[in-house]
Amino acid sequence: MIAFYDTNLVLIQATLSGLVLALAIQVPLRMGVFSFAGAGSYGIGAYLSAILVLRQGMPGPVAIAVAVLVAAVIGLLLGLLIFKLNGLYLAMATVAFDLIISVIAINGGDLTGASTGLYGVLTDFTTGQMFALTVLVVGLVALSERGRMRRRVDAVRDDPELAASLGINVRRYRLVAFVVSGALGGLAGGMNVMVRTAIGPLDIGFGLIVLALTMIVVGGSRSWKGAVIGAVIFTWLPDVLAVIGEWQELVYGVIVAVAAVFLPRGLYGVIVDLTKWLGRIRRKRRTGGAEQPVDAPESVEPERVELDNTLSREQGGEVARMAAQSEVS
Amino acid sequence: MLEVTDLHVSYGNIEAVRGVGLTVEPERVTLVLGANGAGKSTTLKAIAGLQKPHAGTVRLDGRDITGQAPHRIVRQGVALVPEGRRVFAPISVAENLRLGGYAADKSAFADTLAKVYDMFPILADRRSSPAGLLSGGEQQMLAFGRALMSQPEVMLLDEPSMGLAPVVIDAILAKVAEMAQAGIGILMVEQNAQAGLDIADRVVAIARGEVVYTGESGDARNQASVLRAFLGEAALADRSS
Repeated sequence: MIAFYDTNLVLIQATLSGLVLALAIQVPLRMGVFSFAGAGSYGIGAYLSAILVLRQGMPGPVAIAVAVLVAAVIGLLLGLLIFKLNGLYLAMATVAFDLIISVIAINGGDLTGASTGLYGVLTDFTTGQMFALTVLVVGLVALSERGRMRRRVDAVRDDPELAASLGINVRRYRLVAFVVSGALGGLAGGMNVMVRTAIGPLDIGFGLIVLALTMIVVGGSRSWKGAVIGAVIFTWLPDVLAVIGEWQELVYGVIVAVAAVFLPRGLYGVIVDLTKWLGRIRRKRRTGGAEQPVDAPESVEPERVELDNTLSREQGGEVARMAAQSEVS
Repeated sequence: MLEVTDLHVSYGNIEAVRGVGLTVEPERVTLVLGANGAGKSTTLKAIAGLQKPHAGTVRLDGRDITGQAPHRIVRQGVALVPEGRRVFAPISVAENLRLGGYAADKSAFADTLAKVYDMFPILADRRSSPAGLLSGGEQQMLAFGRALMSQPEVMLLDEPSMGLAPVVIDAILAKVAEMAQAGIGILMVEQNAQAGLDIADRVVAIARGEVVYTGESGDARNQASVLRAFLGEAALADRSS
């Protein structure tokens, strides 16, 4: 165990920062805000905390805290500027924001170390602290996927106009998405630079968006669990694939394409379906092959049915059956 | 009472609503008739705050609510039921209703919910199934129930009969009348003039963004010529018999 930890320390750290970065993109997407600003916030967090440590001699955790705060405020300002945009236009504006951060990093002279970046960021920030912070953040994100928070987030994403006519302040939720994305991105960047001790312009480029999106698409875009699955796979996979050398990128690309086409809800969606399927089989066996009645109308707390945007085939059949019934009655 | 006076709404350079005025009284159904693109839905959206009017006033019990943000207008007591039902398909009927109560007084939640289940027993039966699995008529009832959860004084209904079977339409409109009887002022846009007139108390006819006729629904029936002018023969064909 210890040996595993030691030899794979870099990958473990990369998984943690990758996970937080993926959440920085996933949280706004889940709220219907098509923003990639989290990647730019990652750059802000990484550079700012590195500068604070190198120039101001701040302790690591303090530098990270300041960087998270600044990234969140910049996220808010960006949000105020562009929250009215939607879809592709919003995505483009946030990609532009990410590119601006890259350009600043390259042209920042001594402050950002220009094209070589900053190195020698040595602090007392440990992988243990990194792990604790990540767990905390994942826990907070998980809370937003439950109960009333989940209902509101779903409403704001699925039908902002209707959500507004129910009394939900949609503008505030969209701004919160920008702030949370900024804070998470800043945290991911700050933590990463502390354990890696270096940051350069190549570490914060367009590739970050691709990496985060890949994790979310393959893992699952509607739950933090999807982000965890994606972060683990796409941090460890390149290492596993190292044996096939230059073909690595190709395999990587194929996996993403296949996932996007065949697993619209990601691997997490597959796991959810599998557990449901297994549960049904088990129930069938217990009742001696007789199918249980589908409806349980008296349940007090309604169970969430994982429908997402697409009805599965059997659920489609269910809809048709009920439609037919209502026509008759 | 909801009073709209001289409402003007534009989309860019196109003025969709040009000086609409109408009133909605408690316990009464005000029916807005008009052809496609006459500005009916835009009027509702402007009242609900989803579209900013560039002139005119909307008053609720004398308070000016013109141009307020939609989430504030709900809290003042005006609930919109948008066109095409638009329920949140993946979440359950009960959760949809709970979202409807977002802006309302939390202490009255259980009470209101009981009233809604009372008025729409089908929603109580289906409370734990996902809203997306309800039939069209049931979804419309859920949309009504969801709006009722905000404890509105006035409800704005945009084409409640859209896409429903004729048998279901009668049931839906009966529910609209029932909601009015419960004390709510109802402003309803409806293309199905025939069915709408059966339950309406007042009729406002709109053409090209302007009000061309206002009157009691009984009189409107006799003003068939006025209605025919912009609804076309088909809408009133049955009346002559």
